[in-house]
Amino acid sequence: MARVGEAAPPVAARDALARARLRASLVPDLLVEARRVVNTVIAGWHGRRKRGIGENFWQFRPYVEGETMSRIDWRRSARDDHIYVRDKEWEAAHTVWLWADPSPSMLYQSRGASVSKESRALVLILALAELLSRSGERIAWPGLSDPFTARNGAERLASYLLHAGELPARPNLSQLRRFSDIVVAGDFLDPVEETFEWLDPLAQRGVRAHLIEISDPAEESFPYSGRTEFTDPETGQKLTAGRAETLAEDYRRLYTARRQELASRCAKLGWSYTVNHTDRLASDALVKVHMAMTADVGHGGR
Amino acid sequence: MGWLPISFGFPAILFGLLALPVIWWLLRLTPPKPQTETFPPLRILARVMRKEETPHQSPWWLTLLRLLMAALVIFALADPVFNAREATPASGGATAIVIDNGWASAPDWEVRVATAERLIDDANDAGQPVVLAFTAEQTNTEIGPFDAATARERLAAAEPRPVPVDRPAMFTRVAQALEAVPDATVAMLSDGLATDGDEAAFEALLAGSAGQLVWIEPNELAMIGVRESDNLADAFTFSAVRSTTDALPRQATAAAFDDRGRRIAETTLSFGAGETEAQGQFRVPFELRNDFVSIAVDGQNQAASVYLLDENSRRRRVGLISQAEADAAQPLLSPLYYIRRALEPFSDLVEPSSTDLNEAIPEILEQRPAMIVMADVGTLPDTARERLVEWMNEGGTLVRFAGSRLAAAGNDEELLPVRLRTGERALGGALSWTEPQPVTEFPSTGPFADLAPPTEVTVSRQVLAEPTADIVERTWANLADGTPLITGAPRGEGTLVLFHVTPEATWSSLPISGSFVEILRRIVQLSRNQGRIDASGEGAAGSLAPYRMIAADGQLVPPGPEARPLEPGQRPAVTIENPPGFYGTEEGVVAHNLLAPDATFSPIERPETGLPVTTAAYAFDEAVDLKGPLIAAALALMLLDTLAVFWMGGMFARRSGLRPGPAQTASLVVAALAGGLVFLPANADAQDAQPDDEAAIAAISQTRIAYVVTGNGSVDAVSRAGLQGLTRYLVEKTALEPADPAGVDIETDELAFYPLIYWPIDETAAMPSEAALARVDAYMREGGTVLFDTRDQYSNGFGADAASPSTQRLRDILANMNVPPLEPVPQDHVLTKTFFIMPDFPGRFAGGPLWVEASFDAANPDNRPVRTGDGVSPIMITANDLAGAWAIDSSGAPMFPTVPADPMQRVYAYRAGVNIMMYMLTGNYKSDQVHVPILLERLGQ
Repeated sequence: MARVGEAAPPVAARDALARARLRASLVPDLLVEARRVVNTVIAGWHGRRKRGIGENFWQFRPYVEGETMSRIDWRRSARDDHIYVRDKEWEAAHTVWLWADPSPSMLYQSRGASVSKESRALVLILALAELLSRSGERIAWPGLSDPFTARNGAERLASYLLHAGELPARPNLSQLRRFSDIVVAGDFLDPVEETFEWLDPLAQRGVRAHLIEISDPAEESFPYSGRTEFTDPETGQKLTAGRAETLAEDYRRLYTARRQELASRCAKLGWSYTVNHTDRLASDALVKVHMAMTADVGHGGR
Repeated sequence: MGWLPISFGFPAILFGLLALPVIWWLLRLTPPKPQTETFPPLRILARVMRKEETPHQSPWWLTLLRLLMAALVIFALADPVFNAREATPASGGATAIVIDNGWASAPDWEVRVATAERLIDDANDAGQPVVLAFTAEQTNTEIGPFDAATARERLAAAEPRPVPVDRPAMFTRVAQALEAVPDATVAMLSDGLATDGDEAAFEALLAGSAGQLVWIEPNELAMIGVRESDNLADAFTFSAVRSTTDALPRQATAAAFDDRGRRIAETTLSFGAGETEAQGQFRVPFELRNDFVSIAVDGQNQAASVYLLDENSRRRRVGLISQAEADAAQPLLSPLYYIRRALEPFSDLVEPSSTDLNEAIPEILEQRPAMIVMADVGTLPDTARERLVEWMNEGGTLVRFAGSRLAAAGNDEELLPVRLRTGERALGGALSWTEPQPVTEFPSTGPFADLAPPTEVTVSRQVLAEPTADIVERTWANLADGTPLITGAPRGEGTLVLFHVTPEATWSSLPISGSFVEILRRIVQLSRNQGRIDASGEGAAGSLAPYRMIAADGQLVPPGPEARPLEPGQRPAVTIENPPGFYGTEEGVVAHNLLAPDATFSPIERPETGLPVTTAAYAFDEAVDLKGPLIAAALALMLLDTLAVFWMGGMFARRSGLRPGPAQTASLVVAALAGGLVFLPANADAQDAQPDDEAAIAAISQTRIAYVVTGNGSVDAVSRAGLQGLTRYLVEKTALEPADPAGVDIETDELAFYPLIYWPIDETAAMPSEAALARVDAYMREGGTVLFDTRDQYSNGFGADAASPSTQRLRDILANMNVPPLEPVPQDHVLTKTFFIMPDFPGRFAGGPLWVEASFDAANPDNRPVRTGDGVSPIMITANDLAGAWAIDSSGAPMFPTVPADPMQRVYAYRAGVNIMMYMLTGNYKSDQVHVPILLERLGQ
């Protein structure tokens, strides 16, 4: 009987050398795919306006119903009968930090998924890197590089990753400054409190974070049944369930509760929280994250 | 194993059962191996798992199943046999099997054959030849010795015969056949009934070289035979007999059948305790009794329970005697004419050849009639008179009619029931004051009490009875003045009846009334046949051919090849050549019954002999080898066990959990079946709120925007999200608050519920059927509007003829529908003014025109903002991907960027949607609204 899911083979090795080599063989593929994904997004963005997140004034424009009141520039609005919103210029030197969770749990791939979670996270991060560097933003991997601007940002990021040794389980976030963005791709399976323990400093520093939860379909639907022994890939802990199907409902409730808690806390902080399933397309998440990073448009914004 | 008829071939193997506790202990300790799974969210799972303790042992029922399986295998190896039979000890040089196959063997013949087969098997095992003899067969039948195979064939070919057994003849032959064989085993399979000469026959059989006797007789003798019947005046009686060993009170049902085998009467036979005889009675009308052809006892599938009835037991013979000469010339004046006509239907008439009473009366008495009718016979010759009186005293019924001769003759005490006055009495007539007398009610004491009185009958002349003391009880019918019309008196066992009028219509109108027939019939019923006419009695030369035979099981069948004609004789014996049945032809048959009237059933006695005797009983061979069924049961349990292990391993549930895939392993039939159910292809359509019949009310209780479900999941999801976005925008901006959008399947769903149907053209989806397009066409003609969206504004190529696949598909679709002439929305069209002022209608793409029905007759003479015109365009076509612009995700964020990425374009797209919806719902209302300022002005506002 085939298993439902297992650790993806390319990254399951323990020693660093083999892991680096395998990743090296993986990265070029990911780059190509990232480019393809980016192209589809760029097509819809033809002629992007130059306003967006930034620190400098760009323009006043009339307030559209549905926008948050906090964005109204009251000083300008007081001058006549109309209500205006102050748009900021898209700061060319905007810094976006990119980080993908390298922990062993990310290596998981179930039969229903097309790629492992790690592979998907890297694809997303590299694709964002490609997108951002094309728009002239500064990108960086915390703990691995300083912010840099380059047309081939994705390649450079990939080469950094290639030459990096063992990556720490948590990113070094001390370099992040105000008005920068960070994109974190991971599975966020730790308890919510633990997750926000290392994310909270970002909020205090005014960094806007975009969390991308990479989720395997098997993790979400819990398709196990019968007598099953579960192994945690990170700790090696084992649990044996006599009849796994009886656990499914409770498990799913907890799993979704965790996700909702994360999403609601992000919403409270003004962050975006995107869920991407590995059996779906990466571009779904890419478009969402990109839209969250650009200025909100028209109706229905935050 | 005393309590179960099971024996074992290898009982030692049963000690293997001692190993079961060990197996149980081992099974309890070995839990099934778990499925190992990597599972990253283990910490979340651990919170759930705390509640559940993990079983480390097999469930008890699985252990039980496996133990049962082991026990079954051990039992099967021990070679068990159910109902094992005991072999008959065979000795000597041959086995002689003598089987009674007479009528008494018929009901359980199969058991006798099975028993005989066993004996043949045993003889075969002992290597003995078999002498096989049947006692009811003809004595020249070949009896062997045979080898076992031939004996089995002959046994299978043998059948029970509907005749008594003839043991002496057959035993003699068997004894001859065994002469040369020392110490032969003689098996007697008797039918349990004794016959004449049994003792001598057994002596002859066993005196010779017989070395051993196997004696088999039935456990009980349950046969009932019918041996005699009698058709009495008021009932049909018969007597039945049963075996003397059958001493308990017993009831049986007997039935009478007509010539076509229909069951026409039924009665109950009751044997008292210890009685071997019972009388049955059919109390049915006389006519019905005459239809009886056979009587049979229910549930007795043998020949003796059937009794055949022929003419003798049925109809009365009536002799007619008259002294009138001129009968033939004037039949209506013949004194016997009316009597003959009245009696013919239900009796046999016998008439003498001469009118001389001295010859006529003996001739008639020869025929043993039940009744003799004498029409106006005066004095009888002495010899004839004596015989007549004797016949009457033995039970004959003599019916006399008055007439001039009788009136002239003197009184005759013996042949007249009452004393008569000499001469006759005339009533009415020219010289008389009296009137012809009618008949009154029949006296209640007489035999005609229940007949309707013939009130229309008048009597003008009669002979008068002397009034005596017993005149009243002898009077069977009276005239109105009290004088007797019919008198009767018993004479010995017989009856004497006198009609005081003539049998012709001269003295009275009685002979020509219907009552005459009734009265005569009643008298005939009272009479009884005096003995039977046997085949010999007829004096008919030659023999009677077999007509219908009684088969061994009591059915009437055509005669077999061995049936010979019945030779005339006193009472021919029932043999294989003259089996019981009907003999004769269709015109007349004679019943040849199996049982003599004095037959009894007495049980056969086992002969006293010095030989060793083995007694057995008839029985089927019921030995069943249980090895096969036990192994099969163990295999079934193994299959169950396998399935249970799979189920516990979660195989079935897991397969259904993930994406559907082909059933790869068909190793188990059940697994494949379950797979076939689980892996049914899922419907690829988006499962949206499609209103079905039950939800129709829900569908129309709120306004909904509908979209066509194309079957392409991504297109449908965008359509739904887009209409949701538009719905939300409508709620925010306008008074219209639509409910959630509805996906419609144009093939099946009702379309009339929706004012607008959004139809994204997807070239990859299947072309809609013609019926579906006809439905859409009807929807458009009846006031609905379809918004076609080809979503190909930027992929449409350049040039007038360029067409993307979507456009091409739209053209294909519209080719099958009645599409009005189209035009791009003019600047002054009402669609541009319904809510927002809209110069164009962008979607996710900008620049594509919105095509609507051309309004040729619309006029705008005054250069007003809006042209006038009626109707709502039934069709709108755009290429701008409206739904893409409207689409929002669950958090309310737009799903797709606009092209170009202008936030206002999305707003315009929403506004276009609002305008379109307003146009749908309000029609050309806005074009009339332009008059409002003028109207208000005129009203003096």
